Amino acid sequence: MAVIEIESLTKDFEVGFWRKRSVRALDGLSLEVARGEVFGFLGPNGAGKTTTLKLLMSLIRPTAGSARILGEPVDSVAMRRRIGYLPENPYFYDYLTGEELLAYVGSLFGIRPPMLDRKVGELLQTVGLADARRLQLRKYSKGMVQRIGIAQAILNNPEVVFLDEPMSGLDPLGRREVREVIASLRSRGVTVFFSSHILPDVEALCDRVAILDKGKLREVGALDAILNVKIEGHEIILARISSALRARLGELCDRITPLGDRVAVRAATARQVEAIVSAAVAAGAELVSVNPIRRSLEDYFFKEVEA
Amino acid sequence: MRVLAIARNTFRENIRDKVLYNLVLFALLMIVSSLALGQLTLGHTDKVIVDLGLSSISMIGTLIAIFIGISLVSKELERRTVYALLAKPVHRWEFILGKFLGLAFTLTVNVVIMTAGLILTLACHGVGAGSCLRLLPAVYLILLSLGLTTALALVFSTFSTPALSALFTFFLWVIGHFNGDLLELGRLVESAVFLRLCRVLYYVLPNFSNFSVIDSRNVIQSAAYYRPIDPWGVAWATAYGLVYGSLLLGIAIAVFSRRDFK
Amino acid sequence: MTDGRRRAWLLIASFGASAALLKPVQDRVDARFRQPSTVLDVLYFGSPRVARALALGYNSLLADVYWMRSIQYYGRRDEAARRPVRYGNLVALLEITTELDPDLLDAYRFGGVFLAEPEPAGAGRPDQAIELLDRGIVRHPLEWRLYFDKGFTYFWFVKDYAKAAEAWLAASRLPTAPNWMEALAAMSLSRGGAVETARALWERQDQESNRQDVKKNARNHLISLRVDEDRWTLEFFVERYRKKFGAWPARLADLVRVGLLKYVPHDPSDTPYLYDPATGEVRLSPATGVLYLKIPYDYRAAFMEKLARAFGPN
Repeated sequence: MAVIEIESLTKDFEVGFWRKRSVRALDGLSLEVARGEVFGFLGPNGAGKTTTLKLLMSLIRPTAGSARILGEPVDSVAMRRRIGYLPENPYFYDYLTGEELLAYVGSLFGIRPPMLDRKVGELLQTVGLADARRLQLRKYSKGMVQRIGIAQAILNNPEVVFLDEPMSGLDPLGRREVREVIASLRSRGVTVFFSSHILPDVEALCDRVAILDKGKLREVGALDAILNVKIEGHEIILARISSALRARLGELCDRITPLGDRVAVRAATARQVEAIVSAAVAAGAELVSVNPIRRSLEDYFFKEVEA
Repeated sequence: MRVLAIARNTFRENIRDKVLYNLVLFALLMIVSSLALGQLTLGHTDKVIVDLGLSSISMIGTLIAIFIGISLVSKELERRTVYALLAKPVHRWEFILGKFLGLAFTLTVNVVIMTAGLILTLACHGVGAGSCLRLLPAVYLILLSLGLTTALALVFSTFSTPALSALFTFFLWVIGHFNGDLLELGRLVESAVFLRLCRVLYYVLPNFSNFSVIDSRNVIQSAAYYRPIDPWGVAWATAYGLVYGSLLLGIAIAVFSRRDFK
Repeated sequence: MTDGRRRAWLLIASFGASAALLKPVQDRVDARFRQPSTVLDVLYFGSPRVARALALGYNSLLADVYWMRSIQYYGRRDEAARRPVRYGNLVALLEITTELDPDLLDAYRFGGVFLAEPEPAGAGRPDQAIELLDRGIVRHPLEWRLYFDKGFTYFWFVKDYAKAAEAWLAASRLPTAPNWMEALAAMSLSRGGAVETARALWERQDQESNRQDVKKNARNHLISLRVDEDRWTLEFFVERYRKKFGAWPARLADLVRVGLLKYVPHDPSDTPYLYDPATGEVRLSPATGVLYLKIPYDYRAAFMEKLARAFGPN
């Protein structure tokens, strides 16, 4: 059963002071997300990702089209008991401490003190902010804010979680932590819908992705399908190369990239790989690594989307 | 209840605002200094203490109501804290009501503190408990007018920038003391249309003199002479406050519910 | 010197310079615009109605402010230099005060006295005083003190004894009026101008007012009455001396020497009176501590008559 159903969702914004122009931020978006999926929502800046999320959260009203979450229309307040949301560049009441914020959010869900305190404690542990629980939010670093944001999004054990750029502004450690949280959510059967423009993260986590550009949906489907995973060749890195080997390599392959005291070569076919490897071994060179080259989401973007 | 949760949080926010403390401190200073100023009237020190005290409470309270009121909604919008909040199972009307009650409660606490200061000052000057009690209806009426001011500021906060909201709210507060004169003006000018306009405006504009004048006597002045204020007058003033206040909250809720949060 | 040090000295130097310049500049500003006290002359509100309209619900406080201003405005009399100060704005200040707080009885009464008093003790406008008191009476028809003040003003400053009696009679009919009110009315009707009535009035006012400034004013009047009587008594005996010895006495002490007087009185501030042997006049010395308030009418003749009767034709 689809937990998120979006149908021809369109949003126009009026811009300009005197003569108002209409800007179409989202144009006829239709898609569905099944239960338990981790769904990635991708696109360059200005593609309409945040607009879509705000429409789903009923923060703005659609110009046309509709959307349903868990079978309910998006403006249903009752439905919001079962979902969680992390806005982009979140900002919470900076005069509250970490635990006060979570307690406040909990009270909005009707969770009462004895259980509330327990939950808040657990959550702070989960996102690694237990030490900062009595610190005012205005003293939190960006990473900490992001983490408390995730905490408040999952406090009510939601069935669906919406994350808008959850990794933005985080250092690699922070990004990994968020990835772990999302992974654990998935293992609990929670549907995760998140938007991002950091492609490696999406690659690592998502089952399906949708690609948005200038308000229109470009592609939707399993990641592998979109990237049509075709191994385009291999990259071989060698060390201790003699000049004779270098010459031989020049014949065998068209691209030799020096890397300090090493060299990287591209082999287009399996036969080329074989030839290069045996030549290197025969010349007494060191075989550092052999890696398949796969077209990545990044390449896809630069080629397809920017076109 | 969610409304109370939001109200409690708003109260917490206000309490942690340093500006609030400075304003209340100022009011208390005024009250204490009235002891000295009163000497200048050569014999009316009591009256001056009450006048200055209640007027300070009213003025400082109005300042707080306006300056915090105008940012009740606009601050949440500007800082984007409203996004996370409205994604929770909270109705938009609960948000508005909660914000209003939070500030109303803050104002009540502040007024109580300032009134306590005033009564203490009077007691130091030898005024008895019975006379001090006569001040309470006046304080209550001041609170009512503060509630109305808050509601006004809240309405503007839902759609306007803080600067404009402050201007409009202050402007309406000033105009709201001239309602009676507006009617008189209408009678003076020889035009039926103008008279009509004045009468309509008389009812539409918030009438703050309902809270400051009961039975043709200025409320603070009655308190200064330790005269009782007619309880029916107070009751009707409360009724007006509730009616006009709920009108304003209704407008705020309507505007806020229709808003897109870009 | 290091940069930091130099900066510190520069700061101290500029601060010192500014502080030193402050007083001279302020004095200069004051000198240009005459006195700092002119701020009391500014009314800020054009009329009482405007004041009431603009009070925005703070009428009572504003009334207190204007009441304080009225008192200070009056109190800024320059006692030392005896410069006559005008009180042109006093009525406006009091009108605004009473418009803002009609229950400030003291304001009506203060105005009743000091608006009517001729300069230098007051504004010299008994008409304004009566108008103010009338407004007070409209608002407080049962307050006998306002009627008392009104009659007083009519009697003393306007010299309309009929109207004075009218006011005092109206007061005497009020349930709270003291019992001497009727007698006062009767006195006024019978012999306006008698010194006794005047003295009685000032004594009453001194007794029953609880305002220090009003009491002081009444006492000044009583002292002035005594001064006049002292002077005229001395002049009476100086004249007697002349009749007896054919020339004005050289000194007042001569009157004692010849047994006409037992002693030469000093004025109530214990300053000797000035005697002019060329004309036989006795005057208050300029060095006196008495604030002499001239009595509005002349009863010297009546007094001399009384003295003549008392001391016989001798």
